Amino acid sequence: METASCRKRGFLFYAGIYRKILVQDLKSKMSYRADFILSNLGMIMTNLSGFVTFMILFHNFPSINGWDYYHMLFLYGFSLIALTPVQCFFDNNWNLRFMVRSGDFIKYCFRPINVFFYFISEVFDIKGIGQFIFGMGTFVYAWRHIGIPVTFVTIAKAVLFLITASLFMIAIMNASAATCFWIINSGYVMVIMFRFKDFAKYPASIFNGIFRFIFTFIIPIAFVAYYPSLVFITPDSVPLLSWLSPLIGAFFFYLSYKFWMLGVRRYDFTGS
Amino acid sequence: MAKEVLVMKDVSKEFKVLKRHEGLKGSIRDLFSRDYTSVMAVKNVSLTVEEGEIIGYLGPNGAGKSTTIKMMTGVLEQTSGEITVNGLVPYKERTKNSEKIGVVFGQRSQLWWALPLIESFKLLRDIYMVPEKDYQDMLELYRSLVDIEPILHKPVRQMSLGQRTLSDILAAFLHDPGIVFLDEPTIGLDVSMKAKIRELIKGLNEAKKTTVILTTHDMGDVDALCRRIVIIDEGQKIYDNDIDHLKNYFGSYRTLKLRLEDGSWHEQVIDENKTDVMHVIQETQKKHRITDIQLEEISTEEIIRKIYEGGKAS
Repeated sequence: METASCRKRGFLFYAGIYRKILVQDLKSKMSYRADFILSNLGMIMTNLSGFVTFMILFHNFPSINGWDYYHMLFLYGFSLIALTPVQCFFDNNWNLRFMVRSGDFIKYCFRPINVFFYFISEVFDIKGIGQFIFGMGTFVYAWRHIGIPVTFVTIAKAVLFLITASLFMIAIMNASAATCFWIINSGYVMVIMFRFKDFAKYPASIFNGIFRFIFTFIIPIAFVAYYPSLVFITPDSVPLLSWLSPLIGAFFFYLSYKFWMLGVRRYDFTGS
Repeated sequence: MAKEVLVMKDVSKEFKVLKRHEGLKGSIRDLFSRDYTSVMAVKNVSLTVEEGEIIGYLGPNGAGKSTTIKMMTGVLEQTSGEITVNGLVPYKERTKNSEKIGVVFGQRSQLWWALPLIESFKLLRDIYMVPEKDYQDMLELYRSLVDIEPILHKPVRQMSLGQRTLSDILAAFLHDPGIVFLDEPTIGLDVSMKAKIRELIKGLNEAKKTTVILTTHDMGDVDALCRRIVIIDEGQKIYDNDIDHLKNYFGSYRTLKLRLEDGSWHEQVIDENKTDVMHVIQETQKKHRITDIQLEEISTEEIIRKIYEGGKAS
């Protein structure tokens, strides 16, 4: 017991625990095969219908603010990929308010590990994979048509900026889920924030000044696809915000985590 | 002197509750009002628990039991007073504290719902960094106490309530904590499962010298497991002593059972210092024919009920 308390639980420890939970969870999900196939099929259908709407729209308006069809497609694919991590790994945020209301949330506070990690690691949502595959297809197709070179640097950039973009959506969902520690009808906040993600697939330049400001600095939807995409779409005139987005993303994620944990601390666990 | 594993000194917990006003106007006012009333959930409770004890922690609903447990486990911070558990301040060192405690909260399973029990055990082994040998020894001990083979490879969500409770208790002891908090572990279980759970708790307590703080409304649990009981009511400690002492204190109480001519049993708790048993029998006889008489020592359940109803003991 004495030795255990001296050992530190660092990144490798958490990565190991997460991997084990994930493997076990996937095993159990596979055993419910019908459920597995149906939920992925559902996700692909949802994406397909979104895509058809998109096609119809852009065949009628071949360019928006100087963005042509393939640029828009690039943005669309980019946003789908960037929205995958929040769907796959952070989906338990949707259950937070129910657990907080019922008092079941208390169980996450009895283990010697980070409460946020423990809570989030519990659910892996496999539906996100369908979306990821769909997004990848769109992204690669648009990438080739725009004629972005395939080099080590461009691929490394793509990975970095996709991760960055996903951090923004994760931060938005963390923060909106955590409002349940303060307000009762926090479900609305989550639903509204989740709806905002639909704006991510349009170039932020089409919004007017006030909305652009809001979607950049308050609810940073524009970072989910627009700003990071500019690195590839207009490589000659990339705005500073695009280059800074990895830092800003990390910062927003950190803020949302702190806000979430603050909620845990002030929650009084009434209703035994 | 035995080692003290848990010490509470003058601990109080105050909750601030927003005052709600009636009607639509009231609700609008509530939006802006910072009009709080404070509720004392726990008032100046002091308690010392020694290694290896099983303590029955009793009290009516809303007495402050859960609040106390939450403070001991580091989930809530006390408003005033001091708490140390295994030498640590629970709220300040929540993570460190939780390495050395185990918690079971009644019907709320803390295991991974979709995973077979053995996988949950392995995850807990990793989370608590239990050395492989200790882990295997613990599983061996479990096997000697209960038949775990049938549930070991079953996902928790497919288990019956009894199996789930059993699993949760085993999981709480897995990292050999110095102290385990059990909140209503036998609630909703059938008689034989209750007996099984009690035997398991007793076995683990004896084998590992684990201190157990047991919250329950079931006096069967108390009779089977606890030598010492602590009772709190309205946030205050009203009793803290051996269970035998309790029986002495209420030793003059008897339960008199009379069977009347229609075959029904009539029960009555009598304090022999105040009322003569023979007198009660004679009075009853004047009105009814008595076919049978039983005189019993008062049960723990009756004593606790008397205490809850206001007869303070110390």
